[in-house]
Amino acid sequence: MNFRQMAADRHTYAADWKARTGGKVADYFEPYFPEEIAYAAGILPVRVLAEHEPDVISDKWIYGACFPARDMINQFLRGRMDYMDGLVNVEGCQWIFNAYEVITNNKPALFRHYLFLPDYTDSTTSKDVLRSELAVFRERLEAWTGRDITDEKLDHAIAVYNENRLLLRRICELRRADRPVLTGSEYMDMLLANQVMDKAEMNGLLEQFLRELEGRQPGRDTIRLMLIGSETWNSDLERLVESLGGNVVVDELDNGTSYFWNPVYPQKDRLMALALRYLGRPHNPVKDNNWRRRPEHIFELAEDYHVDGAIISKQIYCHLHGTDNYAVWRLLRERHIPFHYMERDMSVPEEETALRLEAFLNQVRAGATRLAGWHRKAVL
Amino acid sequence: MDHKYGRWPEDVWSSHSAGWRQAGKITAGIDVGTTSTQAAVLCGGALYGYANLHTGADFGAAAGRALDLALGDSGMTRADLAAVCGTGFGKRNIACADSTMDEVHCHARGARFLFGAGVRTVADLGGQTVKAIRLYDWNRVRDFMINDKCATGEGRSLEVLCDLLHISITEIGPKSLEAERDPEPVSTTCWAYANAETLGLFGRPEFKAEPLTEAEIYASHLFAYAWRILGVIGRLSPLDAGEIQIDGGLAFTGGLAKNPGITRRIERELGVTALTSRWDPMLAGAIGAALLAAEQEAGE
Repeated sequence: MNFRQMAADRHTYAADWKARTGGKVADYFEPYFPEEIAYAAGILPVRVLAEHEPDVISDKWIYGACFPARDMINQFLRGRMDYMDGLVNVEGCQWIFNAYEVITNNKPALFRHYLFLPDYTDSTTSKDVLRSELAVFRERLEAWTGRDITDEKLDHAIAVYNENRLLLRRICELRRADRPVLTGSEYMDMLLANQVMDKAEMNGLLEQFLRELEGRQPGRDTIRLMLIGSETWNSDLERLVESLGGNVVVDELDNGTSYFWNPVYPQKDRLMALALRYLGRPHNPVKDNNWRRRPEHIFELAEDYHVDGAIISKQIYCHLHGTDNYAVWRLLRERHIPFHYMERDMSVPEEETALRLEAFLNQVRAGATRLAGWHRKAVL
Repeated sequence: MDHKYGRWPEDVWSSHSAGWRQAGKITAGIDVGTTSTQAAVLCGGALYGYANLHTGADFGAAAGRALDLALGDSGMTRADLAAVCGTGFGKRNIACADSTMDEVHCHARGARFLFGAGVRTVADLGGQTVKAIRLYDWNRVRDFMINDKCATGEGRSLEVLCDLLHISITEIGPKSLEAERDPEPVSTTCWAYANAETLGLFGRPEFKAEPLTEAEIYASHLFAYAWRILGVIGRLSPLDAGEIQIDGGLAFTGGLAKNPGITRRIERELGVTALTSRWDPMLAGAIGAALLAAEQEAGE
């Protein structure tokens, strides 16, 4: 199953899907986008994934913003996303909001919607506020597509997405094993592909992948790491970790485990069920303002997946991640989970990053046994 | 641009003793950095010889030359070495190395060798990176940080500045300490801008409300280095509860460790006096690699 290629071919896939089904494609940026409502309207939700490409286009639009936001503009203005009929942004990151504004201003024909999601997700009024926002979103989609989004259609969409979350969770659980049958890079490639494909089709592929995994022999005995921080858009970091004798066995990324961690619990008021699901998901820092639940969630994952250490990888200029570094660092230190903090952009500069990771893996290894981690010199 | 001002002096030393034949295990470490290369030879755990050279464009050649010089002139050859460990940015290019080890662990071990067992925090002020390393009481790395942004606080940028200003790299630090006050530091994010800003402080003083003296300009520039390095050190995990952030066990390694204009300012800000060594602090990586090579050879 070449999920990496599927994620790379996402633009072709979306264009083919449109031709095949006659449906509309709505791209989205933020992990809080309620995909079920769009799916119920017969729309294919496609996550905009950033790439690393020389860019001479975006600077005049949002100079100095984070690299993913700039690259999203770059991809759009180069015509890679011409299949896109609509673009939705959910309240969250300011850089991404700027990218949304630039793109929609450049193509006024796009359906555009800005969905407000409270920053204080667990205040007394949050669920009612979000529910009303979802109702507005449903009405706008109905007007745009000319289709009614009935409760039956919402039920179907919720069922498809819940099944998708369950399958991803089952695959994720395999990583708890002492010698997981899948690597961190395989897992991240799968998650990225999952976010750009029709979930009904993807669920079939995930079932097939699960059967394949169940027949695999246990993997290598490696240092078990957790990946925390800004979203990643490729699996390069995981691959580098694997080349140095480690394995990312769990993550706490917006487009990683946080994407699928909690299901929608059905109730009569479908929109309220969705509101509660998105307000109750593991939060990124900008939505974690009341109780700072994120550090504890990170710790629970670290315990459950028996990690030896954590990598905190923050996108340069990411203003979300960094706001709660103090809380995450303090908790990891208090509980003696070694971690290494680094900043990166879209690329993973190999020598510089390898220097950090080699040192960190050696630091972690020494905790388990004696100082080891010798790398026999490669034949050049 | 004349490059002689930014060129720090190379150094080769050997004990010249033929006693190495009776000594215990002989190991070598080679630290190939982006701007400098060191080789250190240890006989029975004691320093026998070393070389500290400019790296140049060829990592592999620099490593070989440094090792041959460190072997000295008393008959020791590469064949007498039980193990050679490479480290540094160019470690994968060291043909004669049996193994490689990351720079963080090598500098940590080397610092304990050079500065004593009391080392708890190491600041490796290298040509391209600044690494802050915190150690447990025993020989184990507890935490480390590496600079993310570019190069203020890195040796290579100081070499360039010295060439631009026509001041020797060995003199700029002491001269900066002649300043009666430390002016505001220059830009601390980008070394190219920092150097341009420093040059600008010399130009057209009539436009400055309060023109700086030469020593103050150097102080302003080196204070920016100190500030940047402090930022990396400050991100390390705190020492045990109740202890201050940095205790007396601070050691500087790397080329900038020899610049008092930087190290004194860091000491002043932290309120500590760093440990000293009779050996060149640039050797820490190579010595650490040689020590770790001995451990590996012994199967420890």
